[in-house]
Amino acid sequence: MEIRRPGIGAYVTATYPSKNDFLNAVRCLSEVSDFLEVGIPTNNPKYDGPVIRKTHFASELKGLDAVNVTRYGKVPTILMGYVEDYVNNLELVIKTASEVGASSVLLPDLLFEHLDKLEEYVMAMRNHSLRPVFFISSNTPHRLVSVLVKYEPLFIYLGLYAATGIKLPLYIERNIKEVRKLVDNVTLIAGFAINTPEMVKLVIGAGADAVVVGTALVDKLTNQRACMEFMLSLRGGLP
Amino acid sequence: MNVPHYWYNINVDLLKPLPPPIDPYETDSRIALLMRILPSELLDQEFTPLRYVPIPEEIRELYERMGRPTPFKRAHGLERALGNGIRIYYKFEGALPAGSHKLNTAIPQVHYAMRDGAKEVVTETGAGQWGLAVSLAAALMGVKATVFMTKNSYLNKTHRVLFMKTYGADVYPSPSELTRYGREAIKSRPDHPGSLGLAITEAIEFTLGGEGRKYIPGSVLGFVVLHQTVIGQEVLQQMPEEPDLVIGCVGGGSNFSGFSFPMIGARLRNEGFEKTRFLAVESMAAPKLTSGKYMYDFPDTGGLLPMIKMLTLGHDYVPPPTHAAGLRYHGAAPSLSMLVREGIVEARAYGQEEVMEAARLFARTEGIIPAPESAHAIKAAIDEARRMPRDSVIFFNLSGHGLLDVDAYSNTR
Ligand SMILES: Cc1ncc(COP(=O)(O)O)c(C=O)c1O
Repeated sequence: MEIRRPGIGAYVTATYPSKNDFLNAVRCLSEVSDFLEVGIPTNNPKYDGPVIRKTHFASELKGLDAVNVTRYGKVPTILMGYVEDYVNNLELVIKTASEVGASSVLLPDLLFEHLDKLEEYVMAMRNHSLRPVFFISSNTPHRLVSVLVKYEPLFIYLGLYAATGIKLPLYIERNIKEVRKLVDNVTLIAGFAINTPEMVKLVIGAGADAVVVGTALVDKLTNQRACMEFMLSLRGGLP
Repeated sequence: MNVPHYWYNINVDLLKPLPPPIDPYETDSRIALLMRILPSELLDQEFTPLRYVPIPEEIRELYERMGRPTPFKRAHGLERALGNGIRIYYKFEGALPAGSHKLNTAIPQVHYAMRDGAKEVVTETGAGQWGLAVSLAAALMGVKATVFMTKNSYLNKTHRVLFMKTYGADVYPSPSELTRYGREAIKSRPDHPGSLGLAITEAIEFTLGGEGRKYIPGSVLGFVVLHQTVIGQEVLQQMPEEPDLVIGCVGGGSNFSGFSFPMIGARLRNEGFEKTRFLAVESMAAPKLTSGKYMYDFPDTGGLLPMIKMLTLGHDYVPPPTHAAGLRYHGAAPSLSMLVREGIVEARAYGQEEVMEAARLFARTEGIIPAPESAHAIKAAIDEARRMPRDSVIFFNLSGHGLLDVDAYSNTR
């Protein structure tokens, strides 16, 4: 399933704060989002900021069990997990993704710390008829980005800041424009610390095709109305 | 004006992407803390997607006023002494008025701090070269500088303390009584010689303790390396031939990287330097490149900065005193660490006696008294020259002069 452009996705950590709350959140977010990103709870969410880290530590279930509580697919759903937790078992994560109806698996530490697993990841994804996706930062080597583009990914995800939820004084518009040039026509998703319609507008205006909201949603996950209203207000930033 | 228009950002040309800085789990966010202590433009430069970052005109002008481009010289005297037909060239960063390459990043950092409205810049220093450069840059631009200097150096490099004060800076020995980390270090070890990591921690704590202060770091971080590439950008314009070997010394990695990255970058993009070797030389007192581990670690002893993935001896490693105080640091810049890991840069460690002997030979043959740190590069150049074939070409970076390193020259033969 393609990601709608322009679009907004919602990030949630699986079974946070409880299995039931998570299932409710998935249901309600599917109404107001173009895609979902579901975090596989881990003890070591190293690239995440403090707010999302807490959701990993406080999820009811851990690891793939937490993901395995429902079938996804009302909107495209991306599983998110760290290679570090599955170094010898990437296949299992990808198989699980395919079984629960996810469209892809995003591994934020794949390129940064496990580049030797790139081929293995792409192959395993193809074996399960899933398209690969890649997480990059603003200063990812240009040549590597062109290699990624050749794999025809479902999207490339640009982390706008060093960690989720922590805004830094970076020229994110310029960074998106520069990365846009490198990724060609591939769907470019941007995320980390997006929390207002103005920011959605700026990020899309700079050349991203879609945005993901995570940290700003965390405190609303148990309140369906707040959750929907917030997502709808962010949608106001879409063209 | 021949001063380069761009700094060069090697991160976008590396074979692998640099892992992002991360927060420890035990404390509140160190990444968020960066915003309170660092000038904002520097944070942007740390993550810039641009291969060439424009050098603002105000900074280019100051670079020129301070003597950039620095000389790129043929070491005829040293060549003659070695007598085996090797051509040796060196870039002389000691020609800058504060005596070392450190001014290349002190100027932009103070400039960006002031753009954020800072009234005072705070930093640490090992040998005192960085402290001196910051003191000068602050004087040029009219802000106050406060410097935490590792105690061992403070006691031995009294002339640099004097000249930092001459430029108008406040200088404190670290560990000091001014910060909690300083007091704790003194309590646990009354004769603590200090370490660069500890001095960084003190400088950050001090920055957080007052209004209008910005912290500016002297090495290791990406934007420091970026600013130092002005050295190598000049070399690309000045060199009469391609080198077989490029050498620099490494404390945190900024002068080596600044000197070599424009050349390494060209090689990574297949634009020359195919046969060039790159050699980073460290002190046996802090051998992170040859004996360190590649892992996430804190750049400072107190763990106030975010963790970065680098070759490190551990952030609580206290290097033994050495004359090359500027090389007493536990880690090396992430980009340089990665290039060493990937085998693109070779690494070697030397002890201080052999290095000072090379320093003396250089002084007698070239006339320049080298800084003990820079003498590590000289020692390697001499050793390599002795085993390379005739007509080989060596470049090395003479990161600073040693006219204020009286202790180093008087305490060795
Ligand atoms: C003259 C000189 N060279 C080299 C260094 C080492 O630092 P870096 O590796 O960042 O260049 C120092 C540090 O104080 C220095 O003063």
